[in-house]
Amino acid sequence: MNIKIKSPISTAIAIGVGIVVLAGYFIPSMTNIRFILLRTGLVLSAVALLVGIINLLTVHIKKLGAESENSGYSLILVIALLVTLVVGIIDMVQTYLVGQPNFQMTNWVFTYIQMPIETSLLAVTAISLTYAAASILRKRMDVFSITFFFVILLVLLGSFSIPPATLPFLHVIRDWILRVPALGGARGLLLGIALGTITTGIRILLGTDRPYSG
Amino acid sequence: MSATGFTGIVVFVLFMGLMIFFSIINKDRKENNIRPIPGYDKINQEINVAVEDGTQLHISLGRGGITGPESAAALAGLSLLKQVIEKSSVCDHPPIVSTGNAVISILAQDTIRGSSKAISVGDQRRNPSGELIGITPFSYAAGALSTIRNDNVSANILTGWFGNEITWLTTAGERQSSSTIAGTAQLPAQAVIYASASDPLIGEELFAGGAYMGAGKMHQASISTQDVIRWISIVIILGGVVLNILGIDSFIEDILAGSM
Repeated sequence: MNIKIKSPISTAIAIGVGIVVLAGYFIPSMTNIRFILLRTGLVLSAVALLVGIINLLTVHIKKLGAESENSGYSLILVIALLVTLVVGIIDMVQTYLVGQPNFQMTNWVFTYIQMPIETSLLAVTAISLTYAAASILRKRMDVFSITFFFVILLVLLGSFSIPPATLPFLHVIRDWILRVPALGGARGLLLGIALGTITTGIRILLGTDRPYSG
Repeated sequence: MSATGFTGIVVFVLFMGLMIFFSIINKDRKENNIRPIPGYDKINQEINVAVEDGTQLHISLGRGGITGPESAAALAGLSLLKQVIEKSSVCDHPPIVSTGNAVISILAQDTIRGSSKAISVGDQRRNPSGELIGITPFSYAAGALSTIRNDNVSANILTGWFGNEITWLTTAGERQSSSTIAGTAQLPAQAVIYASASDPLIGEELFAGGAYMGAGKMHQASISTQDVIRWISIVIILGGVVLNILGIDSFIEDILAGSM
């Protein structure tokens, strides 16, 4: 069955819901309606997650069939996904039979597989960030990049607790950088992002920007 | 109604009024008086390269959904996606689209379908994908790596909500010698992209894509509105400093703290 919501209807729903949710922030009597709409949105997001996972599974099963270069990764993904799904279903059935929460197997998967993998990847990220900082002068040799590089060095030196980086003036410089220029810059960026966020939202409320096939 | 609620409505009405005003006065204007942003120039350049070389663009929309503070970045990414698909419609290979959020994945597929229909790309095999490749930061980054390492990908456009994991993507792009245009609304990740992407989009530049890619007068009106509000903000900040020096800032604080 192919249900296609015609564009004027989908646009009207998007604009209407957007206006009601926005009004809920400003007008106290509309707060309850805002919460109902947001909760509905969260439920729809959960359904979308299910659709996304099915889409992911379908794409990787197709890649297995195509015998591409990366089909080994696709095989691992499909097996891991199915095993985790089965484990979750078993835990849910046990919870239902016992009558109290029992997610031992799911917790085991997260504690002994997911967490160590994510922690290792976090360590790789630290190395990758160091590499990126070190290579910035190779990419762009301008005043801003040089400033960026030396500020990183100063802040890192001021953060060390081993000699000779424990010199008091380094800590003072680091604290000053973090409290004054870094905070000021961050606030400036946040102001810019806030302005961009508001105009993006208004374009969607006006219907001039439609991130759906409306 | 609280003072905060009233201020919110005033700000909203001011923004909307200015956007409508600028879109009307700029209606017949042909030229585009906006400062050049190298990232968007690069996107246009890379679209031309993809057309001539028969290569592909990779557009990654990040992990942001539509119910949190990250939604605007994700929506800005979707808006840019629409423009890139329309402009790259003559490419031999369509762009590859990846996301780390299920809702954005569905919206991306919908945007792709809508844009493809609008530009009459009927062949479904030519349509770009828009698939969900992972729902945690690292699974998403790891999934996107295989796309970036695809030899046929000539440029990566990373716009949306990314964390520090974006360094994996930018570094992989650098190793492949492909251009990486990256923008995110998350502050720590902005420092990362400044250091690692070949063309970073910093701060509000992420939200300006439509104006630079020819998405319409309302996008240019958004830029003009942001400029006006930015000047107003500067005046208010400087005014606050002067009031503070004069010692009468507590009077304003009392007004703002009270309800109306």
